[in-house]
Amino acid sequence: MEETISYRVYWMIWVVLLVLTLIMIGIESLSLSTGMGILVLSTAMMIKATLITGWFMHLKYETRFIMLTLVLATLLTAAFLVFLLIPDGIAAHRMMEYPR
Amino acid sequence: MSQAYMTSSTISWEGGVSPFGMSWQKLMMWVFLVTDALLFAGFLASYLFIRLASGTWPDQGDVFNMPLIGLMTFILITSSATMATAVGAAHRGDLKTAIRFVSYTALGGVLFLGLQATEWTQLIHEGARLSSNPWGPSAFSSFFFMITGFHGTHVLIGVGILITTALRARAGKATSEGVELVGLYWHFVDLIWVFIFTTFYLI
Repeated sequence: MEETISYRVYWMIWVVLLVLTLIMIGIESLSLSTGMGILVLSTAMMIKATLITGWFMHLKYETRFIMLTLVLATLLTAAFLVFLLIPDGIAAHRMMEYPR
Repeated sequence: MSQAYMTSSTISWEGGVSPFGMSWQKLMMWVFLVTDALLFAGFLASYLFIRLASGTWPDQGDVFNMPLIGLMTFILITSSATMATAVGAAHRGDLKTAIRFVSYTALGGVLFLGLQATEWTQLIHEGARLSSNPWGPSAFSSFFFMITGFHGTHVLIGVGILITTALRARAGKATSEGVELVGLYWHFVDLIWVFIFTTFYLI
């Protein structure tokens, strides 16, 4: 682990996280389309997750081996869940709306 | 074990902290966090599935007290920053600062739990139950209590570990790596909240 990260870095990240949170809450008042709203919220969510894991959890300063192990495992799981379950959820809704 | 195997094994790993470049305690904490992340990934994925399958879903803005949720988020993010500061201080050997910031983090956790109890009380008074609610599909309140309840339990356990760490550090028994391991757990709790906050309260 990198042991000389300045305290200032942590508090700068804290400010960025708070600003992103405010933007996410403020999105509600903008008249964005559903798709655009989800895109903006998901992007902000992923930026926040990256800042927390990368700097607060020091993953950025760990070896590339552990970083790839953790990040790839998480991304593959997320992709598996999203691309398998979400289309199924939509299909289940269609089946309920238009039963054969 | 054959000599040839032992030699090969020694060359490829050499024991110690390789190949991950960290102690086994820290590695096991990461493994635990990944498995715990899978638990929450399962919760959130099943929530998204049911929500899509249901078709109708309550507007979160009508159900939740968003300023309260915003405050909870602010407190958790701030506690994560104080925890990072505590870990940084522990690695610098500044035990006094580390104890102070671990205590601030525990305080943040207690505040978060207090606000969550307030949120639950409000919703229960309005008729939310595990199996039913006045706003639409029964799964809405089921997922709400299950997901936020599991997360809140993690926060509660984290507060217990933080208080123990602060007391052990005061007694001179905590190591800098011990503080770092607690920090990993606490940041994970914050990380999970980022996903819950976005997928359950906002989207």
